Amino acid sequence: MICCKECLDLLYDYIDGNLDQETTKTLEEHFEECPPCLAFLNTYKSTTNVCRENLSEAGIPDVVRDTLLKVINKQKAEQQNKK
Amino acid sequence: MSFSQPKEDKEIEESLVREFQGGNLDAFDKIAEIYQKKVYGLSFNLTRNQMDAQDVTQEVLLTLFRKIHMFQGKSAFSSWVYRITLNASYMKLRSKKKEPNVSIYELMPSFNGAGFQQEKIQDWSENTESLMFTNETREVINKAVDLLPEKEKVVFLLRDVEGLSTEETGDVLDLTVPAVKSRLHRARLFLRKKLSNYFEEFSSRKAEK
Repeated sequence: MICCKECLDLLYDYIDGNLDQETTKTLEEHFEECPPCLAFLNTYKSTTNVCRENLSEAGIPDVVRDTLLKVINKQKAEQQNKK
Repeated sequence: MSFSQPKEDKEIEESLVREFQGGNLDAFDKIAEIYQKKVYGLSFNLTRNQMDAQDVTQEVLLTLFRKIHMFQGKSAFSSWVYRITLNASYMKLRSKKKEPNVSIYELMPSFNGAGFQQEKIQDWSENTESLMFTNETREVINKAVDLLPEKEKVVFLLRDVEGLSTEETGDVLDLTVPAVKSRLHRARLFLRKKLSNYFEEFSSRKAEK
């Protein structure tokens, strides 16, 4: 059986599905026998999800959108005048 | 876990860029529509300030508009846009006083001599639902991300929040794939630890009820 340290080192590639079959099997055996590492795996995955969902929420405010649109239109008009 | 840019999107973008380079100014509207939200989101997460994020987004759009001829197509257009966004965001941050980051190594998992975990690990992954999108949760996450060292933070934001692939992230930051992986892994470990304090407390409160 691999130790917890080796197990946590493999987490990243395990989640990405980049481990070969044999290593995956060894790792999953470890998870079955080691509740702390299973808890670690679950919370490691959750961390990414929770952060992504909370941080990618930062939508662009309407006022900002309007300002940007004006900036773009101004640029386009200037460019058009140059022609 | 990564949802890298689909091939069709990339082709559409590249043809928009070519049209705009060829003088079709209206193509820029679509480019701006695709990117302004991403640029704003990333710069907001870096600067944590609406005014700064607005300035950065405006600056990036202007750069794209004026310097589109400088885009040679050697790497993906999105990588170019993200690089410009990062530079502009860092310029903003440079003028501000920053709180020192904690050492990331202090929060890495600890093992005993045999390589087994020393800490008690609580599984709070099933108990996050009711805490999602509350102000307190967002505050905890923002704070944790802010404490990440810059090198790890930017990889985390590009890959896990913006959803770039490992390769695309490496392309933007000029890092090898293994370098992206190890930085992201460190960032996730750091954040996991930080969030654990918060979610564990909530889980045990819930269990007591």
